[in-house]
Order: sequence, then structure tokens, then C-alpha cells
Amino acid sequence: MRTTLDPFQAIADPSRREILMLLTKEKQTINALAGNFDMSRPAVSKHVKVLYDAGLIVINNHGRERYCELSPDGFNSVKEWLNYFDKFWHSKLQNLENLLNQHAKTN
Amino acid sequence: MHRDLVIKWHFPHPAEKVWECLTTPELISQWLMKNDFKPVVGHKFNFFTKPIPKMGFDGIVYCEVMEIIPGKKLVYTWKGGAAPDNLSLDTILTWTLTPREDGTELLLEHKGFKGFKNYITSIFMNSGWRKHIPRRMAEVLNEMK
Repeated sequence: MRTTLDPFQAIADPSRREILMLLTKEKQTINALAGNFDMSRPAVSKHVKVLYDAGLIVINNHGRERYCELSPDGFNSVKEWLNYFDKFWHSKLQNLENLLNQHAKTN
Repeated sequence: MHRDLVIKWHFPHPAEKVWECLTTPELISQWLMKNDFKPVVGHKFNFFTKPIPKMGFDGIVYCEVMEIIPGKKLVYTWKGGAAPDNLSLDTILTWTLTPREDGTELLLEHKGFKGFKNYITSIFMNSGWRKHIPRRMAEVLNEMK
């Protein structure tokens, strides 16, 4: 997954927040999204690209249409860290136990 | 989604031995990571390890000692990220030792995992989000100031 943009920046814009909110209801094509805004389709498309670059949405092609969807992966960074640290700390605490065992033997 | 990590570990060793391993830089480096820790509240120090580029981590953990109760409790911040000015991981580590008859119980709490992405998730995934979105978005924006 590519995340090239800070999600903070991505949602700093009201139109992009609106797009995210629309996508919480269901996946939508860029055309359908554009129907909710006064701005041009290319302008909406630009916002969609920003959300995509921030890893907040995915875009899937179905035939000619491009569907935008909220990206579960984009929201998973915390889970990844928790999984990582769960393994990390268990392995480090095992090290600590080994170290204590060694010291107890030598004393 | 759980945002905290809590691990209990039992050591068949006295608490003062475990405490020594938690607070002596040379010993810490033997089981955890290289570091320049000092058991002094307010001391800023680092851990050094392998970078994890996939997770935007440059291999340096930035810490500051928050609290020490000798032999019992040690708290420090645990921050990391892609660069010193881009610390996406902003967490707190608490070590609590409790003497037991047959050794020591260690409680390790690693707390405060949150990211902006996670914040958005909680906005969208929590029940009743429709009602709360405007308020929570406002909170997010206030945090951004």
C-alpha cells in the first residue's frame, strides 16, 4: 500500500471530509461522488486522488467505472504497531528472564 | 479496537534484581536495546535498534523519564517514527514491579497507541457516528491547530 501523503493534510479540506463521509455509507463511483458537489468532476477527481495518496481510500475498477471505497488497510497502522510490540515485548521479556537466570547462577 | 498493550510476566527472582535490569543502561542493553538511560525524572534518552521502513520507523526510540518509584515503578515516554521531526508513534511505557512469595510480578503497560488514521477509524466505525461526526471532526481539527 502506498501512503505518500499525511492523512492530516488529506482531511484538512472540507470537501475531502465530505467525500469520506459519503463513502462511509457505501462505495461510490467518482461520477456519483461528483453529483454531490458543485465543483467539476475533475476537481472531485483531484480530491479523490489526495485521499487515495493518503491511504484513506482504495479505488477499484469495475468495467468502465472506478469505485472509491474506504480503505481498511489505511486504518490499520495502530493494529500493526500493537501486533509488532506484542511480539517484541514477549521476546524482550524472555531475554530479561534469561538474563536474570544467568545472573542468579553466577552469584 | 484496543489501543493499549498490557503484559504480565512472572520472574522467579527478587524485585531488586529485576529493577536493576530495568534501570541499569548496561543491563538494559543486554536484554532490550542499546540506550543512554538514566534513572532521573526528566532525563531524555534513546533506544537504538534496526529501522523498520515498512512501518515508518527509523530505528531510534525517543524517550523521557516521567516517573520513578525506586524498586516499584518506572514510567517513560516511547516515541518513534520516520525521523526526529516526524514521530508518528507517541506512546508511554509503564513498568510496575510487585514482590511475590516466589519472585516478582512485572506488569508492562505500553499505552497511547493512536494515529490519525486510527482516529478516523474510530469516527467511522463507532456506533452512532452519523450523529457525532460533526463534533468529532471539530475535535480533530482542533487537535490539528
